[in-house]
Amino acid sequence: MEIMRLVVTGPVGAGKSTFIRSVSEIEVVDTDRRATDDALLIKKRTTVAFDFGRLQFGPDMALHLYGTPGQSRFDFMWDILIQKAHAYILLVAAHRPHEFREARRIMTFMKQRSPAPMIIGLTHTDCSGAWDAANIALALGYPDPARRPPIVAVNANETASVAQAVISLVQFTWAGSLAPAT
Amino acid sequence: MTVTGYLADFSLPELFQLVEQGNKTGLLTICTLTDPTTVARHNHHIWLSQGQIVAAGNSLDQQGLMRLIAQRGWMGDRAVSRLAQSCQLNTPLGLCLKNQGVLTAEQLKLLFYTQVMRQVCALFALPDGWFQFDPKAPLPVSEMTGLIATATDVTLSGLRALKDWDALDEKLPDPSSALISVVESKPSLRLNPNEWQVWEFTNGTMAIKDIAQQLNLPVAKAQQIAFRLIVTGLAEEMPMIAAPPPAAFELAAPTSLEHGYATSVTADAAGAAPVSQSFLQNLVGFLKGKV
Repeated sequence: MEIMRLVVTGPVGAGKSTFIRSVSEIEVVDTDRRATDDALLIKKRTTVAFDFGRLQFGPDMALHLYGTPGQSRFDFMWDILIQKAHAYILLVAAHRPHEFREARRIMTFMKQRSPAPMIIGLTHTDCSGAWDAANIALALGYPDPARRPPIVAVNANETASVAQAVISLVQFTWAGSLAPAT
Repeated sequence: MTVTGYLADFSLPELFQLVEQGNKTGLLTICTLTDPTTVARHNHHIWLSQGQIVAAGNSLDQQGLMRLIAQRGWMGDRAVSRLAQSCQLNTPLGLCLKNQGVLTAEQLKLLFYTQVMRQVCALFALPDGWFQFDPKAPLPVSEMTGLIATATDVTLSGLRALKDWDALDEKLPDPSSALISVVESKPSLRLNPNEWQVWEFTNGTMAIKDIAQQLNLPVAKAQQIAFRLIVTGLAEEMPMIAAPPPAAFELAAPTSLEHGYATSVTADAAGAAPVSQSFLQNLVGFLKGKV
């Protein structure tokens, strides 16, 4: 079985669980609240939580999605998820500027511990008080538009929007591999 | 695009960092939120050009700088107003008066200090306030001395002088976090001795509370210095792993979940196993069907 692991991270309330739920073909496993089957094995030994979703698109091909633990405490589980990730998406709620600094902390943590490529997904862009992508990029520490990761707007509640965000992440991460053959 | 929000959500030092890094030109208005039972509110205006602060005041009547000059007793309102009429259209009033020999360079500096440094630095102590940045607002030459200050310099001065940090308490980096430098060489800003000492630890390995201990500083003081380094674009807060994994925990935790679905996971080694081109193409094709 060939598996790609994508990590969905971001501050609490950015839409990580919803994002995974929108595209997963299985009911999302929340290892904190719904400790069943395999998750139970982990829950018995740990107190950490992350969401797990899955999408199988071929007999031996699957996409696995992991949501980082909701609490702001960075524990070993973060490290495990990051080390195994092919790429990750940082979700940021565009209408909650008080979370931009937390998003920045998460990003610094991720970048220091993994070379995996990243894109930024802006949620709640249609909400009142939402900042635009350029100003959020500045708030996250990207003053130069030419030297920042792709930023996409995503509605975590809509499968199509989440699918498009995952496509963007895959295309950004493997731009060379996905180029049409000449 | 206009940016709005509350200082309790996005603090003034963060705002200044944003406007400077974005080279923004326009008007930043801060409306203080006083006791909700009163209607008294105060507006503060800060004008920026290319990310630098060029003027500040608490009204939009274009008379602020003239009033400051009159308060100093250097010239009456009417005299300044008369002289201002002979200034060229885009010349800052202060510079125009200096060119006419009415004000000296030292007087201009004093005016700028009173108008910008003193007024703006006082805003760092505001517990909250509503802000709006309007990039379309024109620069008011009649409020401008012709002197400028970088937002970073104002932030550094304002936060160094800040006595009551309650308003920024939630913004301070966590004592368990480390700091990591984001500049390639030594900072060009003029740091004070304590800031230099903390700066020496911006290698991402030591928690701020440990830096404080090492430097014999209170933890809160070290957090405040760290915050200054962060909002002046010298360092980033770098969260550290809070706790080691339990002894019984296997480091292949994600694959523990995956085993329920796949029995031949090959990414147990550190890092992610590469995926094939056909995998990528199939995945994108599949997802496109959902868009």
